[in-house]
Amino acid sequence: MKKVFKILKFSLAILLSLYSLLIVYSLFFYSSAERFDIAAHMQGGYLSQSMFEILKFQEPENDEIYFEQSVPFNKRGDHATGFAILNKAVELNPKVHLGYRGYIQLRFLRNYRAALEDFNRLDSLTPQIVDTPWGEDIDFLRGEAYFGLKEYEKARMHFLNSISNQGEEWVDIQAFVYAGLCEERLGNMDQAKEHFQQAIHQSKYTVEAHLGLARIYLKQELFEEANSHLEQAEKYMVYKRDDPYNEYLNEVYLEDIEELKDSLAQ
Amino acid sequence: MKSRTNLFLLISFLLAASLTAWFYYQKGHNVGDLTADPEIDGEFQVCDEDKIPNYYAIGTHYQGGKKAIKAEILNDLENLEFQEQGNISLRFIVNCHGETGRFRSKSTDLEMKKIPVDEARLDKIKNRVRQLNKWNPAKNDHATYDSYYVLNFKLRDGRIVDIF
Repeated sequence: MKKVFKILKFSLAILLSLYSLLIVYSLFFYSSAERFDIAAHMQGGYLSQSMFEILKFQEPENDEIYFEQSVPFNKRGDHATGFAILNKAVELNPKVHLGYRGYIQLRFLRNYRAALEDFNRLDSLTPQIVDTPWGEDIDFLRGEAYFGLKEYEKARMHFLNSISNQGEEWVDIQAFVYAGLCEERLGNMDQAKEHFQQAIHQSKYTVEAHLGLARIYLKQELFEEANSHLEQAEKYMVYKRDDPYNEYLNEVYLEDIEELKDSLAQ
Repeated sequence: MKSRTNLFLLISFLLAASLTAWFYYQKGHNVGDLTADPEIDGEFQVCDEDKIPNYYAIGTHYQGGKKAIKAEILNDLENLEFQEQGNISLRFIVNCHGETGRFRSKSTDLEMKKIPVDEARLDKIKNRVRQLNKWNPAKNDHATYDSYYVLNFKLRDGRIVDIF
């Protein structure tokens, strides 16, 4: 009986040891690509962060690990931590990560000068390529940064570059909208209307362009036209440009339509 | 021999228990979690402590968006003077009833390095944000949910110049 009990204890100890070994193996010795994917999939969890720490220890020159580890910090407002990690990714592989850092500076922090520094440095590193930081045309993003700085002539130039580089059929429709907004702020109402019309020509659902036209027609006391575009803006509001993370600089709301309607009623 | 078996069992048990406890702790915590502190948070309650997703994953919304938040509170805050330039990031919870609480802030300079900001000024910002009352908590067909939300206050030339 004692022997059976002893065998049972020994077997249990073996099972517990195997269990521990399995965890240690999964954390330290399993394929690094698989561990990276698992950690990335669990974005933001402490376990994910611990796995990235282990991966960084094992592959200190792998920029993708630093990049991926930084993401939840910057999304959740801990920018000091997020940038400390992201900066290392940029240091290791600037061509790949400068665009993303510029995008974070632009959209998450509205730190326009820093965003422009990153976009311009990226551009200088890839002279034959039209870069697309985080999937968007670099000139569109530079235009947005200058728009944020209220430097509308420079912003307009970059939005027009974006339209030219990408082609009217392929460019982000919002490039027309922003070009219109720049002209509107520069006091060039005819050019502004032209850009807004171009946006609507590409897609009648471009709420931001309808709202821009309504605003200009209202100023010009062309009330019927203003009302028509307000009605279309309201009708297509569901198609407005938005983003789950941040508010765009040119984002529109139903409240904006209501405000213009009130002005129209007066 | 007997003592060696017992020792083996004890060590393997302690190791397995420690790893399991570590694993569960790691699985249950996330970057950006805000722990309740009754001294700071008063009577603010969440509806489900175990399930507080981030706003971007579940669609927490303020009526009129961040543009409306800025329009509502910037006038009251733009006279606050700061020594620093950079960003104050305010993270808090919008509970399932649309009430806000657990305000915590992190501040960075233009180099994205952590900086201290005067607590009295931070309290003024938190108190003004606390007064916002047009929150639409995240919801689906089944329920409404608590969620984390982030507001950024951009500091330039000693003032708050943007809220987003």
